[in-house]
Amino acid sequence: MKFSVPIFDVKNLSFIVKEQTILSNISFEIFSAEYIAIIGPNGGGKTTLIRMLLGLEKPTSGEIRIYGKKLSDFKEWHKIGYVSQRASHVDNSFPATVLDIVSMGRTSQRKLFSPLSQDDKELVRDAMQKMDIEDLAHKMIGTLSGGQRQRVMIARALASKPEILILDEPNTGVDIASQKKFYTLLSKLNKEDGITIVFITHDIGVIVDDIARLFTINQKAIICNNPKQTLSCEEMSSLYGIDAHLLHNHKHEH
Amino acid sequence: MFEMFEYDFMQRAFIAGIIIAILASISGTFIVLKRYSLIGETLAHSALLGVAIGLVAEYNPLWMAVIFALFSAWLIEYLRSAFSIYSDAILAILLSGSLALAIIIVSLGGAFNNSLFSYLFGSILSVSSEDIIVISIFGVISLVTLLLFSKEFYFIAYDEEVAKTSGIKVNLLNFLLVSVVAVIIALSIRVVGSLLISALMIIPTISALQFRVGFLKTVIFSLIIALFSVMAGMTISFYFSLPSGATIVMCVLFIFIISLITNRR
Repeated sequence: MKFSVPIFDVKNLSFIVKEQTILSNISFEIFSAEYIAIIGPNGGGKTTLIRMLLGLEKPTSGEIRIYGKKLSDFKEWHKIGYVSQRASHVDNSFPATVLDIVSMGRTSQRKLFSPLSQDDKELVRDAMQKMDIEDLAHKMIGTLSGGQRQRVMIARALASKPEILILDEPNTGVDIASQKKFYTLLSKLNKEDGITIVFITHDIGVIVDDIARLFTINQKAIICNNPKQTLSCEEMSSLYGIDAHLLHNHKHEH
Repeated sequence: MFEMFEYDFMQRAFIAGIIIAILASISGTFIVLKRYSLIGETLAHSALLGVAIGLVAEYNPLWMAVIFALFSAWLIEYLRSAFSIYSDAILAILLSGSLALAIIIVSLGGAFNNSLFSYLFGSILSVSSEDIIVISIFGVISLVTLLLFSKEFYFIAYDEEVAKTSGIKVNLLNFLLVSVVAVIIALSIRVVGSLLISALMIIPTISALQFRVGFLKTVIFSLIIALFSVMAGMTISFYFSLPSGATIVMCVLFIFIISLITNRR
């Protein structure tokens, strides 16, 4: 289902640093309840693109609109949940329980002069329940495994009741079993809760059945509207500049 | 033991000391978590420059300390965000620059006397009734600001970028936090001294962090450690005629060592 106003409307976006082109003339739209995976080689500009969507970097040229508004006029940032690349690499000595971290998801929406309301606490509890970390609420973040930390970071993002979740390779340093659980959770959030997901990953073979579209970024963007059919070894090879062999997920038919 | 409170100056020193312990420990928690521990040292030296100008020009040194510490805090934040200079290098440049200028000013003005010495190392004898009023007023404003924005400051300390993307006005709040820290340092140098105030901000939090507890408990532990150190330090300082700032810092260091030993892994 596509609404008339896209969540993100990106037109002719370029990013050049010290005469080096990181991204060149990229245009796309992201609609509500889509599940989009972004792949590409390291240094290809994936993270830069995400950072520009979040207003952390200014594009050299081009325009980004969020919910129809210019990025500079957009104020409802709580609608966008962001989990960064270094999400699961929290400093072990940082004094935070899981509850402390997930509650941060409500910080930007609380009223000045008031603590977290009952509704806020309810949303924090719901987010922890969804990520199956309720029993970890009072554990220190530094004592958790990579997979558990990853779920805490998603719960923090979910506590702000986002309509879109942007994840930048949050799997770094997480074991395979936890990664599988994580992909299932993301798919569930997209299908059951209708949350739009934009996910930078290298594990495209595992999630290819779940995603609606695939963005391949290496300075330029190639948008695949049907990832299962259009993702070929040739395209992967041209994207990464090496011989690529696509491993299909056993779940889907060949 | 309570005979020391028969002296007015000791009553004033204790009131000032308790206010400073509360402010230094709470603000220190955010500063340490932001990995910005050295800012206290730099702002204390900028405050000392204000004191030097105040002494030479015969303005109230405490007010001048507040103004110069604030100006220095804003300059640090501006340089940090506008230029690609390492944060710790900015702090080192301003620290030595402020101290050098302070020394030149006092030597030109001939004011390098006991008065400046008391601001360097702290003196419980020097806290006046007017100082108590200034410390109380600014102390209440600083404390209210810290408590009002504590959740935002905590989020920023945890991850500045994620806080920014969730809609928190990070740059504005960073300016606010360094401003509050500047005011607290300027107020504190009377009792603890500009060379030692940074220790009272940083060491209670570092000690509390050894217990590996959540944020609220860390702040409470830090507060208790700072309060105990200030009260014990001033009492020892009174009975053994020792400099107050140095004695307070030795007390807080003692607690730090205990916290390290008891939480050894």
